[in-house]
Amino acid sequence: MWADAWRSLRKNPLFIISGILIIFIVVVALFPGLFTKQDPNYCTLDNSLGDPTAQHPFGFDFQGCDVYTRVVYGTRTSLMVGLASTILVVIIGTLIGSVAGFFGGWVDAVLSRLNDIFLALPILLGAIVVLQMFKTNGSIWKIVLVIALFGWVSTARIARGAVMEAKNLEFNTASTALGSTPVRNLFRHILPNSMAPIIVIGTTSLASYIVLEATLSFLGVGLPSSTVSWGGDISNAQTSLMTNPMVLFYPSAALAITVLSFIMLGDAVKDALDPKSRTA
Amino acid sequence: MGKYLLRRILQVIPVVLGTTLLVYALVFALPGDPVKAMFGDKPVNEAVAAQIRAEYNLDKPFIVQYLLFLRNALTLDFGNTFAGQPVIDEIARAFPVTIKLALMAFVFEAIFGVVFGIISGFKKGKWYDTVILIVSLLLISVPTFVTGFLGQYLLGVKWSILPVTAGNNPGFIDLLLPAMVLGSVSMAYIIRLTRAEISSNIAEDYVRTARAKGMSNRSVMLRHVLRNSLIPVVTYLGQDIAALMGGAMISETIFNIHGVGWLTYQSILKGEGNLVVSIVTLLMLIFVVCNLIVDMLYAVLDPRIRYA
Repeated sequence: MWADAWRSLRKNPLFIISGILIIFIVVVALFPGLFTKQDPNYCTLDNSLGDPTAQHPFGFDFQGCDVYTRVVYGTRTSLMVGLASTILVVIIGTLIGSVAGFFGGWVDAVLSRLNDIFLALPILLGAIVVLQMFKTNGSIWKIVLVIALFGWVSTARIARGAVMEAKNLEFNTASTALGSTPVRNLFRHILPNSMAPIIVIGTTSLASYIVLEATLSFLGVGLPSSTVSWGGDISNAQTSLMTNPMVLFYPSAALAITVLSFIMLGDAVKDALDPKSRTA
Repeated sequence: MGKYLLRRILQVIPVVLGTTLLVYALVFALPGDPVKAMFGDKPVNEAVAAQIRAEYNLDKPFIVQYLLFLRNALTLDFGNTFAGQPVIDEIARAFPVTIKLALMAFVFEAIFGVVFGIISGFKKGKWYDTVILIVSLLLISVPTFVTGFLGQYLLGVKWSILPVTAGNNPGFIDLLLPAMVLGSVSMAYIIRLTRAEISSNIAEDYVRTARAKGMSNRSVMLRHVLRNSLIPVVTYLGQDIAALMGGAMISETIFNIHGVGWLTYQSILKGEGNLVVSIVTLLMLIFVVCNLIVDMLYAVLDPRIRYA
């Protein structure tokens, strides 16, 4: 299945475009120094809302910070939050979902109701409440934990469905007949065969977590102002929206391109792993 | 059908209890003192603080607090805000605004989403299909608050077509832009969903059978493909009504609309625990009821679900 998926992925233009964009975004996140020589936190009011120059292609924001440099340095924040939350969510979600799907019975009933409870609470609302409570010493990890706390629900649902489906397939019975224990079956046979839908939702979730972090920072409960982030910069640019809309435009565009890349990747991966949805 | 309905309603009860408990725990049991927060930077007056704690039952054990809240909520008595206003009054003022906004967003996303989705799905590969796809991808990737600012700047400030902010007691025109912003992401998802459903249904065997029977292409598309394709879209729309009400926070904040989302956000910032818990409880009830209705509709449309 994986070789087949990879073959169809390589031919998909969506995958090639999003792949190139994501590699570029990762490079910017890892080595921001390659793209700018300035310090993102060097701001003087002399430069407030200054026009673009050769050294400062995007101009200056209200505080007199170089917009281009802040966009470059903001990449790492967004990517880190997105990646870390996704990894955590996939681990927690897969664990809970596969336990529910594998054991069934009352375990499944309890976990599924727990799932329903978290599903009824919008993730943005829950995140704001928790973040407002723990307002002190804001860090990236706090946001990641909060996203994971509310984000595991959809992954768990999908993992549960996939495990229940794979559990009843013949290879599982065959492996039991050969003397394999249920737990060994789960890890050796069922989980590897349930990974496809989990990977698909993981890729799409990554995009939505980047948006969520930016939204939280925009609302003022996310990252502290000392952390360079697109969401925070967009929020600050609000004050000068009427006179200098470009200050708001650049971080928004960076955010949109990043999210778009991961959504396209998700679409491509879905097409490759789920032949039924493949668009002819 | 009656049995299925009863089972679904019984399943809802633990969910409602669980979610209210979760929200209540998040707001009141977490570290951080809402009473202390009320004093802001001023020194805390212990006597006053104790009185407030007694009034809001904050001096009792957590589980007692929660049960008292539940008992009062059943009679729609949600207590008072810290400023002394009955919570129910604040909610009664905010809800109609948000319901109006959410309904407008709903109509917007339903009409445009389905129409563009159908055009795109039936005319796959045409240039306008590509345009629709790119625009919907963009709408999904750009966060709502950015879409909001962009709309505010372009339509409100630059071209002055629509009002920039709504304020108190907003009318239809005031809410037009916020509703479009609120509905834009869902609209994009509906376009994609409709398009995907149509293109996968066109390839189904029953379409070939219908054609083989000699049915005209037009009837095949309308009677078979479209009907089957719209079932998941209807489900999505049904669940989205509640999501729109809960998701109104961003557009209400940007456009200064004093609805539920704006009220929730303000009360979270001010530490008005009572108000937060009450609103979230109501929103969650709306969500659960909407889901229940969608499930019922689905069971009517698709008999397989009833007996599963």
